[in-house]
Amino acid sequence: MFVRKLALEDFRNYERAALELDPGLNLLIGRNAQGKTNLLEALYLLSGLGSPRSSDSALIREGADRALVHGCVVRGSRTLEIDMEFRSGRGPRALVNKTAVPGTRELSEITTCVFFGPDELSLIKGSPEGRRRFLDDVIVKLRPARFGIRREWDRVLKQRNALLRSWPRSGDPRTAVETLEVWDEAFARAGAALAAARLEGLGALLPFCRKRYEAVAGGGRIEIGYVSSWLSEALVLESLDGAELDPGELQDALASRLRELRSREIERGQSLIGPQRDDLAVRLASPGETVRDARSFGSQGEQRTGALALKLAEFDLLSDALDETPILLLDDVFSELDPARRASLSDAVRDMGQAVLTSAEPGAKGSATANTVYEVVSGEVRRRD
Amino acid sequence: MYAEPIQRLIDELARLPGIGPKSAQRVAFHLLKLSEDDAGRLADAIVDVKARVRLCDVCFNVSDQELCEYCRDDRRDRTMICVVQEPPDIVALERTREYDGLYHVLQGHISPIEGIGPEDLRIAELLERLKAPPGSPEAIQEVIVATNPNIEGEATAMYLGRLIGPLGVKVTRLASGLPVGGDLEYADEVTLGRALSGRRRIQ
Ligand SMILES: [Zn+2]
Repeated sequence: MFVRKLALEDFRNYERAALELDPGLNLLIGRNAQGKTNLLEALYLLSGLGSPRSSDSALIREGADRALVHGCVVRGSRTLEIDMEFRSGRGPRALVNKTAVPGTRELSEITTCVFFGPDELSLIKGSPEGRRRFLDDVIVKLRPARFGIRREWDRVLKQRNALLRSWPRSGDPRTAVETLEVWDEAFARAGAALAAARLEGLGALLPFCRKRYEAVAGGGRIEIGYVSSWLSEALVLESLDGAELDPGELQDALASRLRELRSREIERGQSLIGPQRDDLAVRLASPGETVRDARSFGSQGEQRTGALALKLAEFDLLSDALDETPILLLDDVFSELDPARRASLSDAVRDMGQAVLTSAEPGAKGSATANTVYEVVSGEVRRRD
Repeated sequence: MYAEPIQRLIDELARLPGIGPKSAQRVAFHLLKLSEDDAGRLADAIVDVKARVRLCDVCFNVSDQELCEYCRDDRRDRTMICVVQEPPDIVALERTREYDGLYHVLQGHISPIEGIGPEDLRIAELLERLKAPPGSPEAIQEVIVATNPNIEGEATAMYLGRLIGPLGVKVTRLASGLPVGGDLEYADEVTLGRALSGRRRIQ
């Protein structure tokens, strides 16, 4: 799949912009803060998963009341025109071939992107939230129909937390407990469904990740575990090894922990366990050594390799599962990498389908081999011949 | 800022559901252009609806009498109650002509985010209607829970199931699942999962 054309109106620092893109390698060159990343962000938005970096209201150019993103996407033998509109205070609207679709999630059936930016080190060093979001996005990209699992989970979590926050409730205490029991059941069911999808996604990602890490690091090992206070370690390990998961078993595990924790959760006024607290544990090893926690023990270089391996694994997994090559968006990543990692990444890019790279260096790596080069200067885009 | 009467109208309109400040302004200026007669008719309709429409004493549907048209109708099956969230849901169900039992309007759903608990809904009144001893002619034999197929509607249905089940009254839930004319391949997994668990035998 590839994006043939991207057009923007009142999007971030662009009043209007239009780009024709090549199915192969595209390069966006410009100094910092000129709007290169905004173009990658717009491409990512076409995949219906929200911005890789911020809330939708920031997408609207200052002084405008809405932002428009148009993309022409070619997938297999089909050409699809996608139009998105962002207004503050309401969800984005999307049209496919001029027909409104019920939600932007429909777009993830059309376009799949892998975004790799200079902040990706946070996948290893940052908060658990970033790692959960990475995995949750992979799940939906892999099977767009899974979007509902996430939406349902988010809503149940909000409702249950609101109920716990409102404690003690006036009126009949039995009614309050019965209401909580109803939300416990919904929480356990939705939470188990999300955790099962995460374990399945992580299990699929792991083999690709190990292969990429070894290749980029020239040996060594990466292991990724799923850390959860309500799932047994044995169950996690089995499922990451490919064993079939029983969602009912997960649901029972979560439900019984909720019963144990009820009084503490009421006291604290929020949900204390569940997928919203789970995390990925990334562990790395040099050749011949045992794996150690990447966050505390890994060198900066090892951490970068870990993050790069995760992203490349995402790309490999999606290529393998979708029978289509995802669109690769690389935001200023080469400047952060040492020559060896730079080489392995540019090798990878060459094998891939459509890639859009940004760089601040005019003679940037790849500019000679890129099929299309655009210069970006303060919200204006010019094609270089 | 507009002249006081216009601003007051805009403020009142903006309090209505689904109307933001901009739409309120547009509607207000449209109303300003109405003829005296048209404006009077609209104002009368609002006053009239408040004066004459009330909630049914039994089922809490909207009605212009103590009992609504369904509760008054002797030809309807009085052993079944269909529980809905809002009065328009009754209109939707009636259009199908598939159901001829009674109704009960909860006047909302359980939603902690909005501060709505079971005690804010017409649930106690529903339980009261189920009190006739089983076997007696007034006994309710089935309660069909027709709350919305979203998180809040499901939670409300689950709550009702827990309360009504032990009373010995059969509780059923509207099947939720695949949209007619839809494509199985593109169905959301949550929808598909529900459709699977609510599957039924052919014949
Ligand atoms: Zn009635």
